Amino acid sequence: MNALTRSHGHAEPILAARDIVNRFGKQVVHDKLSLDVMPGEIIGIAGGSGSGKSVLLKTLTGLHRPDAGDVLLKGKPVQSIGASERASLIGVLFQQGALFSSLTVAQNIMLPLREHTVLPAGQQEQIAAMKLALTGLPADSGIKFPSALSGGMVKRAALARALALDPRILFLDEPTSDLDPIAASGIDALILQLNQILGITVVIVTHDLTTLLNVCGRIAVLVDKTVTVDTADQLMKSDHPWIHDFFHGPRAEGAMKARETSHGN
Amino acid sequence: MTPVPANAQQTSASPSRPALVVSGEGDRRALAGALEISTLVAAENSLKGWSKAGATRQLDIALLDSLDTPGALFLCGLRDRNVGLIGVRAEHRALLDLIYGLELKPIPKVKSVPRWRQLIIQLGKGTHDVRHEVIEIIRFVGRAASWTGNALLHPACLRPASISRHITETGIHALPIIGLMAIMIAIVIGYQGVAQLRPFGGEDYTINLVAVSVLREMGVLITAIMVAGRSGSAFTAEIGVMETREEVDALKVMGIQPMQVLVVPRVIALVITLPLLTFFADVMGLVGGAAIAQFLLDVSPTQYLTRLPQVVDGQDLFVGLVKAPVFAFFIAVIGCMHGLRVTGSAASVGRETTRAVVKSIFLVIVLDAFFSILFEKLGL
Repeated sequence: MNALTRSHGHAEPILAARDIVNRFGKQVVHDKLSLDVMPGEIIGIAGGSGSGKSVLLKTLTGLHRPDAGDVLLKGKPVQSIGASERASLIGVLFQQGALFSSLTVAQNIMLPLREHTVLPAGQQEQIAAMKLALTGLPADSGIKFPSALSGGMVKRAALARALALDPRILFLDEPTSDLDPIAASGIDALILQLNQILGITVVIVTHDLTTLLNVCGRIAVLVDKTVTVDTADQLMKSDHPWIHDFFHGPRAEGAMKARETSHGN
Repeated sequence: MTPVPANAQQTSASPSRPALVVSGEGDRRALAGALEISTLVAAENSLKGWSKAGATRQLDIALLDSLDTPGALFLCGLRDRNVGLIGVRAEHRALLDLIYGLELKPIPKVKSVPRWRQLIIQLGKGTHDVRHEVIEIIRFVGRAASWTGNALLHPACLRPASISRHITETGIHALPIIGLMAIMIAIVIGYQGVAQLRPFGGEDYTINLVAVSVLREMGVLITAIMVAGRSGSAFTAEIGVMETREEVDALKVMGIQPMQVLVVPRVIALVITLPLLTFFADVMGLVGGAAIAQFLLDVSPTQYLTRLPQVVDGQDLFVGLVKAPVFAFFIAVIGCMHGLRVTGSAASVGRETTRAVVKSIFLVIVLDAFFSILFEKLGL
């Protein structure tokens, strides 16, 4: 169940983008972009502001239909997969959490269970309580409304909801943005734990260099309307100017130090 | 002892779905296949009686291919009831240990209040809120009036650019809809008048009815209600969005008074536009009256025009128009007040906008009733 052995095996990709083209008016955002996500790996998607990270995430999850190209989820076009099956394959943590403000946290987590399973209400509640505990939230946060939660708790609650149906792939959009360093490290540790124990494939869109370097096995950097995918160590040696600046700026140095100490331990 | 037969039991309906197979008998059972959220109900039903029985029971899960967190939660529940899990694979052990290690507490129940008590609580809260609301409106109206008066006394404080933008948005852009509504209202009144007056042979008086009611009441009322829905709500939403994005706080930090730059220009603009719009609505209402006269009474537009001065005079026009600036002041002030009351979330922008519209239309109608009484006493 190790993430590394799986990602470097000869397995089929669980999610594959083939020659994706996205354009808005005359502006081309993605030009023949291809990306393979292997089962069990944690892949980071990085790129500058306006490089099309969010559009790529929407394309991969089937929320946006690309102008050309296909997204294959377990070998099937993501657009052709039924709503219920897609919900049990994909979990998405949106940047602002996107918790439904009219429902309590527990009701938020139970909503996909109520829609897509035949479990009795009592058991749905047990599962919701388990997801809360799994994401490190106390049980009494279940009766709170999203407006009463702090930023870190919103992310955790949204993560619990994304995990409600035990999806095979988890998409995280800026999971550590707007969080203090302690809460951000907590989210990083949680992502690693979920990946190692539940075997969930994780796709993280983030600017956070600490997350990219410490959590992600491979990093897809969005430059020049396509992606360059490699491990962090290989990308550091890249001579592409943007990639070089990204991994060698003053912030990257700090994240690298953190990585060395955590690997040293 | 148990409803489960000794032979293996297939619990899946379609072949593509993951299946769970329960086999074995007595104290020893085995699970094979997938124990997932989709097969959980089947597993529960198969093992219901068995898991409650005493003695030493063992569940073999060596042949379990896939296990998810609800499945693991189910197995942990069995373990709590003294069922021994044997043949646990390494990859399942990590998951089971994780779930078993979680401190699982049930989600607390929200205390529910009996219906009759809720009613009383709401009544009390409502009364309390109304009192505060009234005080707040009076206070804000006073502040807005003083700021507006101050701005008029010191024209350097006025913001002509902002005022002219609001005049365009609340006035010129509202012309088509208000003209159309005025014509429609005149036609509605005309039809009712003809139907009611014909039995008495007085259908000619429909012209009087339409002209008087449009000039004195309908023109200004329809315009004020339309403007409250169109521009009062826009004021709340605009200022409310600024409040959520901390733009209002930014103004305060820069030493600029939100009352001066956000509220006063809107109030002045609306006080200018609403009387003009009302006059426009009056004219269009009389045009609607002309149409009714032509089609229902066979009175030609020329005849209609010569009759108009006989049935209405400047006083009727004045009675209608004099109300407009008062309505405009209250619509603008209520809209701005609710905009500044927005806190934090986007949801509160929507809530305050609804309140602003309801309150300003309510106030317009209440004020109109007061005006009716006042004009009656003054003999206008």
